[in-house]
Amino acid sequence: MKLPFPTHLPARLLAAGFITGSLLASLPAAAGDAKAGQDVFKSECAECHAVAEGRNKKGPSLFGIVGRKSGSVAGYEYSDALKNIGWTWTPEQLHTYLSQPAKKANPGTKMKYDGLDNAKDLDDLLSYLATLH
Amino acid sequence: MPPFSFRRHAGWWAAVALLLSLVSLDAQAIPAYARQTGSACADCHAGAYGPGLTPYGMRFKLNGYTDTDGQGTKIPVAVQLTETHTAPATAPSSTSLTEGDLYLAGRLTENVGGYIKVEADHTGHNTYNTRLGNLDLRFVAKELKLGGKDLTLGVSVNNAPGFQDPIAALPNASFIAPGGVTGTLLNLGSPNSPTNRVIGATVYALYDKVWYAEAGTYRSLAAGTQDELGYNRNGDPGKLSDTGYFRFAYMKDMRRQFFSAGLVGLTTKRRLPHAAARDDIDDLGYDLTYQYLGNREHIIQASYVNIYERRDYGQRLPSPVLPGTLEPKRGSARDQTASLSYTFRQSYGVQLSHLKSTGSSSDARYPPFGNPDATSNLYTIFWTPFGRDDSWITKGNLKLAATWFRFTRFNGRGSNVFGAPPGVKGVDPGDFNAFSISASLAF
Repeated sequence: MKLPFPTHLPARLLAAGFITGSLLASLPAAAGDAKAGQDVFKSECAECHAVAEGRNKKGPSLFGIVGRKSGSVAGYEYSDALKNIGWTWTPEQLHTYLSQPAKKANPGTKMKYDGLDNAKDLDDLLSYLATLH
Repeated sequence: MPPFSFRRHAGWWAAVALLLSLVSLDAQAIPAYARQTGSACADCHAGAYGPGLTPYGMRFKLNGYTDTDGQGTKIPVAVQLTETHTAPATAPSSTSLTEGDLYLAGRLTENVGGYIKVEADHTGHNTYNTRLGNLDLRFVAKELKLGGKDLTLGVSVNNAPGFQDPIAALPNASFIAPGGVTGTLLNLGSPNSPTNRVIGATVYALYDKVWYAEAGTYRSLAAGTQDELGYNRNGDPGKLSDTGYFRFAYMKDMRRQFFSAGLVGLTTKRRLPHAAARDDIDDLGYDLTYQYLGNREHIIQASYVNIYERRDYGQRLPSPVLPGTLEPKRGSARDQTASLSYTFRQSYGVQLSHLKSTGSSSDARYPPFGNPDATSNLYTIFWTPFGRDDSWITKGNLKLAATWFRFTRFNGRGSNVFGAPPGVKGVDPGDFNAFSISASLAF
């Protein structure tokens, strides 16, 4: 059987590659297509969220969402549920939050969203959100 | 051969002008809602201008116009101005500020919101008639649960059966309806239509986000009250009693697509005029709609509405054809509308509509041929440069539209629709055609 990597690579390099691969696998945002994610955003999110900085709609602006503390956009009136939960919107947290009904992920939230059950769409969306800064 | 006389058929021209104003120019835009929600016009309307609704716009309406961005109280006022150049096929062209609208629209509380339109319509010779347009005041209870499923309950007080419908395909909500010498009660283009001349209340429910049900009743306004509200007494719908309205629909929002199928009914007993014998009238219709929304780059919207009306006349009219006999006690009418639109980048659009009105024959009611059938088409292209998230102005818009309205059948005939005698040039359906260019500004 032909191995998928050259056998003469040093063991340390192989280990580094394995670790990097594992990390990438745990970051869903990196796996998606941001261009396709923009289309997902337009059909799933854009009615309630703008991407422009400081522009809040029914939901807060998603400018700089990745890495942001939950409930932290100035001028937006959050639910107590989201204000007090103390999340940071890492790609993993966003993946968890958006893959299920919002009211299940964060009971008491104002957000009305049933969740995105298409894994590729979700990965693409997270990749697009990561570009909003 | 004597020429076609505009003066002789001025009444028909007035009716056609009214129809044109109903179907082609009645753009509805309420930037007050955009200011209230923080949304762009394009979130609720495919072409960033009403009256057609996206599924998001339907939810806003179902929630009683109360959704908000939580950024404090906004002034619930919007204005719309419409300038129109109309070029009828066989009548003088005209250019005027055809309509000025004032909307009081928005939320009062978390559970109470509404829509009130006061319009000033150009009536010629630099005069305007001010009247109360559509009215829809709501109380809504949101985010309820029944059997573990979402439930929304609401009450609507409104003045046009069907205007309050969330899917907005019924004639009183789409403002697209066939015209002719007769029509159903649910058609705003019918002679003596109840539209805006009644007041009623309905109770509605949306269950599990897909099942919509509504029931209610209406009563006609007194002729004097209609007059005070800006409506000519000639269009009085008569005295309506025992009036019931129902609506049942399945509506499925799949984000990139939307589909709905619905039934609608209106039953009433009508005296027209008020001292006349009572007619029993029952409307029963169905409607189908589909929207392809995708990523909002290319949007296709299609709808079909078919409303059948059964009439049991209180008085049998003498037959003008067979002296000494009476016409049948029963009659019917049917209105059908098929509409297809395409919108590019929520700014450029084209809409094609086929409108058909038919009815049972009656020599006494529909002279000269006893046939009320009429068929017409409406073609519109438009451009709305603003009202999107990425446009310069997000909460207001301008709509430039070119509309061609054409009749292909009237009084059941494809030519000589008024039965001109030999040697006299008759009126053809095409003589009612009209082309118009309009600019509507909403802010």
